[in-house]
Amino acid sequence: MPRPPPDPRRLLLLLPTATYRTTAFVEAARRLGVDLTVASELPSTLQAANPAGLVTLDLSRPAVAAEQARAFAHAHPLAGVVGVDDDTAVVAAAIAGALGLRGNAVSAAEAARDKHEQRTLLAAALVPVPRFGLHHVEEDPRELAGRVPYPCVVKPLRLSASRGVIRADTPAQFLAAFERLRRILAAPDVAACGEPARHILVEDFVPGSEHALEGLLVDGELRVLAVFDKPDPLEGPYFEETIYVTPSRLPEEAERAVARCAERAARALGLAQGPIHAELRHNQRGAWLIELAARPIGGRCSAALRFTAGEGGRATREEWSLEEIIIQHALGTPVPPLARAERATGVMMIPVPRAGVLRQIRGIEAAWAVPLVDAVEITAHTGETLVPWPEGSRYPGFIFARGPTPDAVEQALRAAHLRLQFVFDPAD
Amino acid sequence: MTPSDIRITAEPIDNGRCKFLVSEPVHAGGVRRFASRDEAQGSPLAEAIFAIPGADVAEIIVSGNLVTVVKQSAAPWPVVGKAVGQAIRSTLAGDRPAVAAKPAPAAGSPTADDALYERVADLFDQQVNPMVARHGGRVELIDVQDAVVMVRMAGGCQGCGMADVTLRQGIEAMLHQHVPEVRGVVDITDHTAGSNPYFAAAKK
Repeated sequence: MPRPPPDPRRLLLLLPTATYRTTAFVEAARRLGVDLTVASELPSTLQAANPAGLVTLDLSRPAVAAEQARAFAHAHPLAGVVGVDDDTAVVAAAIAGALGLRGNAVSAAEAARDKHEQRTLLAAALVPVPRFGLHHVEEDPRELAGRVPYPCVVKPLRLSASRGVIRADTPAQFLAAFERLRRILAAPDVAACGEPARHILVEDFVPGSEHALEGLLVDGELRVLAVFDKPDPLEGPYFEETIYVTPSRLPEEAERAVARCAERAARALGLAQGPIHAELRHNQRGAWLIELAARPIGGRCSAALRFTAGEGGRATREEWSLEEIIIQHALGTPVPPLARAERATGVMMIPVPRAGVLRQIRGIEAAWAVPLVDAVEITAHTGETLVPWPEGSRYPGFIFARGPTPDAVEQALRAAHLRLQFVFDPAD
Repeated sequence: MTPSDIRITAEPIDNGRCKFLVSEPVHAGGVRRFASRDEAQGSPLAEAIFAIPGADVAEIIVSGNLVTVVKQSAAPWPVVGKAVGQAIRSTLAGDRPAVAAKPAPAAGSPTADDALYERVADLFDQQVNPMVARHGGRVELIDVQDAVVMVRMAGGCQGCGMADVTLRQGIEAMLHQHVPEVRGVVDITDHTAGSNPYFAAAKK
């Protein structure tokens, strides 16, 4: 399919100032020729110079943001709205509802954002999820430790990137995990989200291989864009993610089970439009939904994905990014049948080796020189304090690779990572 | 200096553009932009990069230690980038300057780019920089070549998570309004070296 001509319709892109997704979405909109308005929670210093292209919305209050967007749209009519993370997915839903644009119901986006509400809806719809219980941070953990199942996992309701997620195998570990999560929830940036930061989810640890599914919902139908393996065992006690590789090496039937599970989950939550990112486990009892978000894959990871649009796309080698597909869909453009570009691809979210003030990362060129490695992107800056999981949630960078097989890609990512050396402030 | 002494870090921006940060100065005489093989004649580095088979290179911008390459092919950066690295190493180790000096305009006849430079510089001085200074940022006008503006972002803008929004939704829009003859804006900033970005990103 040839690339479409420039699209004069206006897209409202909700970009929190702390997102990694800025360049990917802004450049995708440029490639599509879409008129773009970027909305953030804080004003751009150049907003007055381009009032059609930059706007400030209260992204912490979706209903307020929807009214602000409605006022903005009087002067600058909008044809679509896209959120890029869990919170802006809810705001996008509110704006879509207010302006009659393609999007999800607010209740569905909210259910996807809140881990407890999500579990409750999924369990009611008989989607396989871990057994779970909701507890207030002021509950007595010693009493809870005597009655929760082991192994279990304690989780915050709203945080992402596995921040604050801790496994406990014994009552003593549970006590420590509960206290540690309580401290994380009391941090000012977390406590600011209000009541959800006053609760802790405790659920069964589900053994098995872990996978991520990237998909696009089109009028309630799930189009699976990629199923990733996460080959590093995520057994805890913390769940910092590292490697994603696609295509999955799961047997076909298991991969279909993963996709069916994600589709049932999306339906149970009431999601009908736009990107989803699901994290699942697979074991001898089948696929288990761990989490589903109404947004695309986080960080810079989407750069590992390129798509061709059906046979025509393959013929012209025209490749689409995930963000281009999401924007087209939000604007109401029919999305053609998509195939992931051939070859295996993968990304490693570079782990934080330890806490400290970063002075330098050595070996970047050597890492990049590893055969099959596409790129090494360092996102941490000199002088930045790196914080390991479970308190942290910011990766210092990303490594991308593509190759003939998932195994080859995984090995390339590991080899590249071994060549990186972190230099910390000697005072640490 | 031997080719093996030269360290190069690649920073792909997307599938079409990639910046290469080189441990040695590549071109100390300001910025040079090459938009075709013809323009590359006389600059061994640009000639070599345009000649990379299957890359379909469309543009090369060289400034100081930074080489930005724009390609049109779908070939992945590992393949093209390694060839770019080879070109950088071999031409820096050669006898001739890797990049020739920018041809001087005829005396007494300022070029269209010179006139644009003045207008863009005025816009930056009067409007852009006073605005971005509120976030501790600064945008330096490096050059105008073939009506393409080259900028370097500094201070709070360097490495900022919203730098691309500032560039595309702010600066580019202002240029479109005030200096419509400008055909494009290229950011030649090494954002990985930003030590005090105004907005820092977190995963999701």
